[in-house]
Amino acid sequence: MTTADRQLLSRYHSEVQVSVELQTPEMILNLGPQHPSTHGVLRLVARVDGEVITEVEPVVGYMHRGYEKLAEVRTYPQITALVNRIDWVSGFANEIPFMVATERLMGIEPPARAQYIRLILTEMARISSHLLFLSSFPLELGAATPLMYALRERERVLDLIEGLTGGRFHPNFNRIGGVKPAAGAGSTQKKVVQDLPKGFLDQTREAMVQVRSVCDEMVELVLGNEIFQERTRGVGIIPADKALAFGVTGPNLRASGVSFDLRKTDNYLPYSDLEFSVPTGDNGDGFDRYSVRLEEVVQATHIVDQATDLIPAGDLQTKVPRIIKVPRGEIYVRAENPKGEMGYYVVSEGGRGPYRLKIRSASFSNLSILPWLLKGQLLPDVIAILGSLDFVLGDVDR
Amino acid sequence: MSAILDNFWALLGLKVLLIALVVPGVSLVIIFAELKISAHMQSRVGPYFAGGRYGWAQPLADGLKFMQKEDLVPRDADRPVFKIAPMVVLAGTMAVFVIVPFSPSLVVRNLDLGIFYALAAGSIGTVGVLMAGWSSANKYSLMGGLRAAAQLIAYELPLVLAVVGVVIAAGTMSMVGIVEAQAEPFFHLGDTAIRLPYLLQGQFVGFAIFVIAMLAELSRTPFDMPIAESELVMGYLTEYSGIRFTMFFLGEYAGMFAMSAVASTLFLGGYYFPGLDSSTFGPIILMTKVGLLVFVMIWFRWTFPRFREDQLQSIAWRWLVPLSLVNIAITATLKVVF
Amino acid sequence: MTTNPSELAERVAGVVGSDRFTSDHGTAKVYVDVSSWVAAHQSLASDMPFFSWLSAIDWAAEVAVGEPPESDEFEQRYEILSCVGSPDGRMVVLSTDISKDQASIPSIADVFGGANWHEREAAEMFGIEFIGHPNLTHLYLPDAFEGHPLRKTFPLLSREVKPWPGTVDVEDMPEGSAGTPSTENPEDAG
Repeated sequence: MTTADRQLLSRYHSEVQVSVELQTPEMILNLGPQHPSTHGVLRLVARVDGEVITEVEPVVGYMHRGYEKLAEVRTYPQITALVNRIDWVSGFANEIPFMVATERLMGIEPPARAQYIRLILTEMARISSHLLFLSSFPLELGAATPLMYALRERERVLDLIEGLTGGRFHPNFNRIGGVKPAAGAGSTQKKVVQDLPKGFLDQTREAMVQVRSVCDEMVELVLGNEIFQERTRGVGIIPADKALAFGVTGPNLRASGVSFDLRKTDNYLPYSDLEFSVPTGDNGDGFDRYSVRLEEVVQATHIVDQATDLIPAGDLQTKVPRIIKVPRGEIYVRAENPKGEMGYYVVSEGGRGPYRLKIRSASFSNLSILPWLLKGQLLPDVIAILGSLDFVLGDVDR
Repeated sequence: MSAILDNFWALLGLKVLLIALVVPGVSLVIIFAELKISAHMQSRVGPYFAGGRYGWAQPLADGLKFMQKEDLVPRDADRPVFKIAPMVVLAGTMAVFVIVPFSPSLVVRNLDLGIFYALAAGSIGTVGVLMAGWSSANKYSLMGGLRAAAQLIAYELPLVLAVVGVVIAAGTMSMVGIVEAQAEPFFHLGDTAIRLPYLLQGQFVGFAIFVIAMLAELSRTPFDMPIAESELVMGYLTEYSGIRFTMFFLGEYAGMFAMSAVASTLFLGGYYFPGLDSSTFGPIILMTKVGLLVFVMIWFRWTFPRFREDQLQSIAWRWLVPLSLVNIAITATLKVVF
Repeated sequence: MTTNPSELAERVAGVVGSDRFTSDHGTAKVYVDVSSWVAAHQSLASDMPFFSWLSAIDWAAEVAVGEPPESDEFEQRYEILSCVGSPDGRMVVLSTDISKDQASIPSIADVFGGANWHEREAAEMFGIEFIGHPNLTHLYLPDAFEGHPLRKTFPLLSREVKPWPGTVDVEDMPEGSAGTPSTENPEDAG
């Protein structure tokens, strides 16, 4: 242990020793795979000395569905339906990098209206994912009420997504070349291209106002609560250089002070037309991760407001051949998912499906820092740290 | 009738029977209150179907459900200890009611050592918790039991010390005596006598300490580490099901009732309210004050996250104990001077 | 600090000492020799501290599932890819080739901590040995699993029953449907 670690630990030891004679040996504690607060089937095999963790090994793979192998036997349009189940909390956002990759390889560009609809839905997915985090993290610490408030507003956003796409979590709304013509005409009639549902943009603006108001409540109820601050400040600090070396992305990285947002650096959607700020934290502890995500929800509502004003008229999908064959080439496209960076490395050999699809999922890299991060932490803090990283097992295991 | 009331043993038996009926009944009411109040605080409705549209039969339905469950004892558990543990906890809580005065005459036994006995009897529950955690043969339960024991022992001291201030001010340890002392006029404004409960007579620090220690003794949030659901399943309660679980559950709410009754007797004036006759209105007045305190406890539970174990301990030892000692010193000084 | 892919690819190639690089479709890709794999990462680590991912591609002529590569002349090999970048948005993919008979490559887990899990996954999926990796156990697959799933020779059981591309991957529209089928259905109903 370095002196820094020792100092960190000594802050946590209480001054009272209950009993010195009782030497309890080290215990191997198994957290999960079924456990109320591991976000899915995650198993942590921890060697515990009293309340301090000396070593931990995460065991993942319970949800491994073999996406990359499956993708080799699917056509490009079929993979669209497959990939929004990777990070199932923010379903729509998983499809975006794959769509952009395929379109760039084919050399086509979706019309502006389709891109704006994609942007609005991605930001709504971000709001939905972050609201789930903002409510379940205090629940793990013992505060049950923010859950109800945040989920109430999340339902409004999910209703909007459902009204537009037909699905709350797995919209399957993207098509190669744009988005699906909304509210398809059904199987017995000639297909009519229909646009956004009536009143969608107004309802969206109203919902964004209510999301902002619940964020204000959260600031007072959670961030201002001294007990919450005591439980999360200084807990699970990830230094910026370690975060970058391990591939931690998204709000976790920004909470450590690195202002790295793919919405600003890459142009996979028309974010450059809109104004928004990227929140960062100072210390990289659980408190910063919570406040960064809270602020991101507010910023996402501003993005959606601007996008609903700026959305141009036009087609929803460019003309693509009936059977889609993508010419030879390789490309890596990444996008800012709510959990972090999600990217697809598509290797195409000219067929109807990819030759190799490498999926870079955010939570996989976010979780890989756990063996380093949890060493020397207290057992109650483990739950707080796991909760603050906001990972989803589908994203980890693919 | 008067034969029963004159016979000491018959009277005692009647009083014990009354307590045994009233306490679970009030606990059920408190359970229902918690369900409904927490629901409305969270923009929900709460129990809805059991008992018309208002859900008042929900606790009864839960009780019946628990009673018909299978009696599970884990194979590796220590059977006698496992079975006795919930009874010890419940017995400790019930024993407090011996000295709670509902009116000057409605008290099981007005011991001279009233509050001393209550504090001693109330801490029997700690042993029960340890027994539950140890005998469950489950790592999670063991850790929960250890945490619970540490917490309960740590907060005994502030609880007791906070009460000392009141005892000094009242000059007696008998509960009825403490209420009568609060009924004495504190000062006179012209012709009217102003009577204040001890809370307003300068014991606000003591009251705060007592309430915090009370929350910790009852393992209510923000001090519910022992049964931190999301971390160790249910802590020392993990292996309990059916009637045994009901005993723990009821014990928690009976404990809320008991401690709130003690707190309102010590600090809020008990069954006495200026202008009202204590013998007839006493129980109603006391229950109102108990209801207030219970509401505050429910409110705290659904607002705050929980403390970590070492933060909990540091609050007890570094803040509450010194504060309560200072409180005693000041109270004693003021009592002697004035 | 340029983020133009072609300039970036050229600059990185200069830093790692390679002469093959492309920037097709906006992805800067630099080919390095396997002997300088670790050194390339070390020289980039200070300028590009962000490690994104590491994986492999199995270039094989005979495939058990899916479609074989179009061109018939290519070298059968494993291509190891790693992607590093920097917080200002620059990103480059480094690529190296190893032969199938001797599928081993030095590990970069010391240079970038995140490579630890990515190399474990590539090892179990392709059967590649990463020399110097601290803990090359199975990450996703059960411990008793035999075989390397992402190799092209590893069959998918459902495709044993119904060979690729399958008779109907997408169901027909119900009876009485008129009008053009949607553009996503690859199986022409005609």
